[in-house]
Amino acid sequence: MNAFELSLPDTLADAARKAGPNSAFKAAGIDLIDRLKERIDDPETVVDLLRLRDELGGIQATANGAVRLGALTTLQELADATALDAPGFGALREACGEAATPQVRARATLGGNLLQKNRCWYYRSNAFSCAHDGSGDRCLAWHGENKFHALFGTVDCVRVHPSNAAPALVALGAEVEIRGADADSSRRIPIRALYPQSPAARAPEHVLADEEILVAVHLPASAAAGRSAYRESREKLSFDWATTAAAAHLVVEGGKIARASVCLGAVAPNPWPLDDVAERITGQTPSRELFADAARRAFRRAQPLRHNAYKVEVGQAILVDALAAAAGLED
Amino acid sequence: MRDRDLREGGSRPSGFSRRSFLKGASVAAVGTGLATEALADAAPTDGLIREDGVTTVPKGALEITLRVNGEDVAVTVEPRTTLLDALRDRAGLTGTKKVCDRGACGACTLLLDGKPANSCLTLAWDAVGREITTIEGLADGENLHPVQQAFVECDALQCGFCTPGMVMSSVACLQKHATPTPEQIRHELSGNICRCGTYGRVFEAVANAAKNGGGR
Ligand SMILES: Cc1cc2nc3c(=O)[nH]c(=O)nc-3n(C[C@H](O)[C@H](O)[C@H](O)COP(=O)(O)OP(=O)(O)OC[C@H]3O[C@@H](n4cnc5c(N)ncnc54)[C@H](O)[C@@H]3O)c2cc1C
Ligand code: FES
Ligand code: FES
Repeated sequence: MNAFELSLPDTLADAARKAGPNSAFKAAGIDLIDRLKERIDDPETVVDLLRLRDELGGIQATANGAVRLGALTTLQELADATALDAPGFGALREACGEAATPQVRARATLGGNLLQKNRCWYYRSNAFSCAHDGSGDRCLAWHGENKFHALFGTVDCVRVHPSNAAPALVALGAEVEIRGADADSSRRIPIRALYPQSPAARAPEHVLADEEILVAVHLPASAAAGRSAYRESREKLSFDWATTAAAAHLVVEGGKIARASVCLGAVAPNPWPLDDVAERITGQTPSRELFADAARRAFRRAQPLRHNAYKVEVGQAILVDALAAAAGLED
Repeated sequence: MRDRDLREGGSRPSGFSRRSFLKGASVAAVGTGLATEALADAAPTDGLIREDGVTTVPKGALEITLRVNGEDVAVTVEPRTTLLDALRDRAGLTGTKKVCDRGACGACTLLLDGKPANSCLTLAWDAVGREITTIEGLADGENLHPVQQAFVECDALQCGFCTPGMVMSSVACLQKHATPTPEQIRHELSGNICRCGTYGRVFEAVANAAKNGGGR
């Protein structure tokens, strides 16, 4: 790890002002320190956000039922949050409770989880060149070792987005609050728009500018309704990164699906929303057969690589499980 | 602005005085983290750079005080120094082990404000003002902590290299669940890898420790 200076800003405004092209924000630092050790990143200045709990911390439920999750909320706090007790929020609690290890969950922040970089072994090792970080001109994973890589939505790089929280938040229709260098530059965007529209090799993994800070995630009141679930597959049961993941949010009324929202994780460079699946099952009576059919159609468009075709089968099963759990069909 | 002496190598032994640091640490203990106002008192004479609402720790080494096992320990660290390296290489507390150095094995597990943490992915500066509990801090004199005692009685180790981390995660597990189910034990220990494969005995030790008040 190269040396860096550590900036401890008093406020969010100071943090945004201090940031620039040669700096990196740090929350808990779990992803950042890993990249610094591998010398994939080499910032002159690390700007600390962890001490800005007043502005970036806390979970607040508002009177109308919406919930604000501060960017510094830890994955464990989200998994245990009583403000997220409603079955509608289940996918987020499950996604965070299953992520990583107890040690990581106790410190990893929501903001850092959404903005972490991908886990492609070519990108993560500076022994290899990589089109994504600009050290090479070709994606080595495309024709190389690509067991954990993408099925959908790739341009010229087959990385997958590793976050557990992201697909759950997409399914729940969350919005992200972002603050730029000055307070009036604050904006709120749907979480889908946090990730690049065309995730090409050279596209950054999220759309935030150097000085922009993810302040909070907002869950709409509508997310509390119905039930949502998150399911993932992984190679190692104790803990591991997901090989496929699915989050589903369903509102069932009078025995029919009145509202649906579905998103896959770990299969594309971005969280991979399945709006067509949601549309197809809306108005239908929930059943495993319905969900299996929808999953089959969704994975028809998959473009497996040499070593990841297993994700097509496994991903369908995980999607069916998530939908069944969200419909209350389990057990 | 920047104190050149401190940039590389940081030969000045105590750039950041213990006294002013303790002030910061005690504020932090009550509040929400290291209070930057307290740091402001220390700069610039103490080697920190203070400007426009930002306190900057320059690249070199400075002395900070960590609260380890109930005692203040002065360590000289750079911004990039991990808590693991600060404890092992600077404070001489080598009970906490380094294996993967990437958050994936749990050998470096300790408790930060009572919660399990991978010290290899934690900056030493991020531990300022927080209670650090390492394997060295568990026993009460000659009396082992119930979890340690249970590990001995169950022979829950082979080479022993993962053991300090396993014990710390076990303590964290019992603080969360006083009488854990087998599933809870597995879940709470899932961040610790034992290359000798002693898991069965470890799970048994945690269950036994629970019976003997390990969650104290
Ligand atoms: C062994 C292991 C297993 C793991 N398994 C999983 C898993 O199964 N699922 C999963 O989802 N994750 C997993 N992770 C990843 C882990 O969850 C992330 O590294 C963690 O969430 C990052 O959070 P952080 O607070 O440490 O972020 P940091 O490392 O501090 O930051 C991450 C990135 O986000 C930026 N950043 C952080 N916060 C902000 C903000 N508020 N505004 C602007 N920029 C910001 C930083 O500049 C940095 O680039 C695993 C990690 C380890 C070590
Ligand atoms: S040494 Fe820290 S987790 Fe392996
Ligand atoms: S006892 Fe050898 S690694 Fe666990």
